[in-house]
Amino acid sequence: MKKILAIAWKDAIVRFASSSELLFFIILPIVFTFLLAGGTPSGNEDPRIELLVVDEANTSISQQIIKELENSTAVRPEVLTREDAQKQFNDRRADAVFIIPAGIDIASLQNSSAEVELLQQPNNINATIAERAVLTAIRRVSSSISAAQNAVNAREAKQPFASDAERQTYFESSLEMAQSIQEDAPERVTVVEGLTEDQIEYDPRANSSAGQLITWVFIPLFGISALFAYERQQGTLRRLLTTPSRKATFLLGTISGQVVMALIQMLLLVGFGILVMKLNWGREPLALFVILLCSALAAAAFGTTMGTFIKTEGQASGLSIMFGMVFALMGGCWYPLELFPPAIQNAVKILPTTWAMQGMLDLVLRGKGLVDILPEAGVLLGFAVLFFSVGVWRFRYE
Amino acid sequence: MKKLFLIGIKDLKLMFRDRAALTFMLLAPFLLTIGMGFVTGRFSGNSSGLSDIPVIVVNLDNEQLGNALADVFSSEDLADLMEPTASSDPEAARRLIDEDKASAAVIIPKGFTQSIIPAEGTMLDPNYVQPEPVQIEVYANPSRRTSAGVIKAIVDEFVSRVEEGRTRGMTSIVQLMSTGLLNPQNAEAEVRDLFQNVDETESTAITLKKNTEGADAVDFDLLAYFAPGMALMFLMYTVSYGGRSILSERSQGTLPRLMISPTHTAQVLGGKVLGIFFMGVAQVGILILASSVFFQVKWGDALGIIVLILAAVFGATGWGMLITAFARTPAQVGSTGSAVMLIFGILGGSFINLDQMPPFLKTISKITPNAWGLDGFTTLALGGTLKNLAEPIMALLIMGALLFGIAVVLFNRNGLVQK
Repeated sequence: MKKILAIAWKDAIVRFASSSELLFFIILPIVFTFLLAGGTPSGNEDPRIELLVVDEANTSISQQIIKELENSTAVRPEVLTREDAQKQFNDRRADAVFIIPAGIDIASLQNSSAEVELLQQPNNINATIAERAVLTAIRRVSSSISAAQNAVNAREAKQPFASDAERQTYFESSLEMAQSIQEDAPERVTVVEGLTEDQIEYDPRANSSAGQLITWVFIPLFGISALFAYERQQGTLRRLLTTPSRKATFLLGTISGQVVMALIQMLLLVGFGILVMKLNWGREPLALFVILLCSALAAAAFGTTMGTFIKTEGQASGLSIMFGMVFALMGGCWYPLELFPPAIQNAVKILPTTWAMQGMLDLVLRGKGLVDILPEAGVLLGFAVLFFSVGVWRFRYE
Repeated sequence: MKKLFLIGIKDLKLMFRDRAALTFMLLAPFLLTIGMGFVTGRFSGNSSGLSDIPVIVVNLDNEQLGNALADVFSSEDLADLMEPTASSDPEAARRLIDEDKASAAVIIPKGFTQSIIPAEGTMLDPNYVQPEPVQIEVYANPSRRTSAGVIKAIVDEFVSRVEEGRTRGMTSIVQLMSTGLLNPQNAEAEVRDLFQNVDETESTAITLKKNTEGADAVDFDLLAYFAPGMALMFLMYTVSYGGRSILSERSQGTLPRLMISPTHTAQVLGGKVLGIFFMGVAQVGILILASSVFFQVKWGDALGIIVLILAAVFGATGWGMLITAFARTPAQVGSTGSAVMLIFGILGGSFINLDQMPPFLKTISKITPNAWGLDGFTTLALGGTLKNLAEPIMALLIMGALLFGIAVVLFNRNGLVQK
């Protein structure tokens, strides 16, 4: 036991010899957790298509048009200067730009001189949708004036006005009538939300906290391979042969040390999740400990197996990061697993990260307990047994 | 110049002999790109834009306005956007939405037309009871919010047209009748005339001038964003790997040996920088090429791609040199390089789109070659050409030159061969 502790302590000293290790141990995981929690889509974002709007009129009419656009279910108006909007349009970053030029006011509507402009990228579906939304908005704002004008024209076709004053009076009474008809108009469209089940259970904070925890803990645990390679390269493993220490003692000391460090790192990240991100990590402490321990053991076992195949420390550190990142991405630690095609969702069940992520999400996202995470914990322990067996079987001092 | 190239080519050869480094520089970004392809649905045929939105149209009205609305969804204008299916059973349509088979069902109830346009002969009938207004139901799929919103917007646009026509017709008739220019006996014929094409009413108060002056739409390939995103992230590892070779040569003593040869310090440093530059260009070039071959990624203008790669690698090389100038040992360069790679990766948009980040992070991202590089790659993938890349290329060149200048000052102060 004393030897195991001594080896574990030695590894801790070697690992934290450089203060830069703290960067990977706690600082970067926290930064990533925080940024991904805020940066990944939560599903509550405005899903509407962005429509750049240039309001050079800045009148009550232009404001009303923009307000109508804000009520659209298809487009989301983003008011910009003409220069910025034109630049985005030229760079093809904008599908359409709606320009309300100076001079769009009630008077211009009354004399039919009001003209607004819509720049559209050709053959662009989003631009077509934007056009429909713009037409709806301008129609809603101008329809009473348009109706009053039409009434004036209809009257003039039957009997010309005696004076401009009479025409204006007729226009005003028609406008009043049109506004009253508009106000009395019933709502003709109703939206009923269907009962489609949301296929993706997702909370960016919970997913980010669990996903980044796995990513940043698994990479150093895979890095156990680098420890073996380093000691092999330095010849210190051979020196161990001359001491009365068994292979199992060395392996146990190295692996248990890394697993304990991983558990400390995990607990710090869980603490960050609870205190800063207000996540309910601590609801089932025993279940949490079980899933964290099983995850750490599975990752450490994989690192041990890697260490028996890899020759140099350089190889080990590159491959640890590569496997860590690829396993994390494919295991659903960065993006929800439900986004993957069904075949891939099944295929990634061979990865420990998939099971670790599901187990942690069961606790922090789905509110489940110890019994519910036992299948994931069991699979992770299975990974641990398999990879430790391969690792111990293949382990060589030289 | 020859010496510069010799040193650079020598470092490039060394990189290609280091299998572990090659695996990390090429295989890791390639595998992550594949993963992102799965996440974004690129490999399952999902397009990044809206098209062929499945909508079920239940027309129970079967009169002028109901038919006109059903025709809107199958019109030529919306042929690429909508994929309508007709149904006569509202319950079956709702069930299909609940089963996620379509984005929304548009249910036009019986009597919709008559609730707006009175039936013939009813206007002057004193016993006629105006029917209760009926509503078109848009039964929306909550898991397809964007496309359901588009369907609702199309219905809104149609209804606003009808409503404008109705307001216009009624205003004219009522005003004419109030001035005695239209007698009630003739009113019905006038009204029928006004409502003839009520669903085709065009606004007269404001004219919408449409201008399609841009280039044709390009189907944006999501991998044209994520593949360079990953390549640029791992480029930061490559440039620090190159920088590490300077310190490795210093600790192994080959650098001082080089300095006693008739080679100027600037030539040695220049050669090493050129080596890093070659490595970066080779890495990003191979990844871009592999993505084109294996995934048929549409990158856009070839000349723009080449110039952008060169500029992005130049900017990243500046960072590699700066990290090297600050570090004392190869291990320090390695750990700092890995940290910078990951930080720049997330800040530069390799993992998540920069548009989803808070404004202050977007501003900070401008210090990364990743953000400028991705900006350029996106412009090209959207159909832009070299002339649209002035801003990112200038930014990357200035970044590289500035950082390289700072690195040279630091190397001069500390001495290139000083351990």
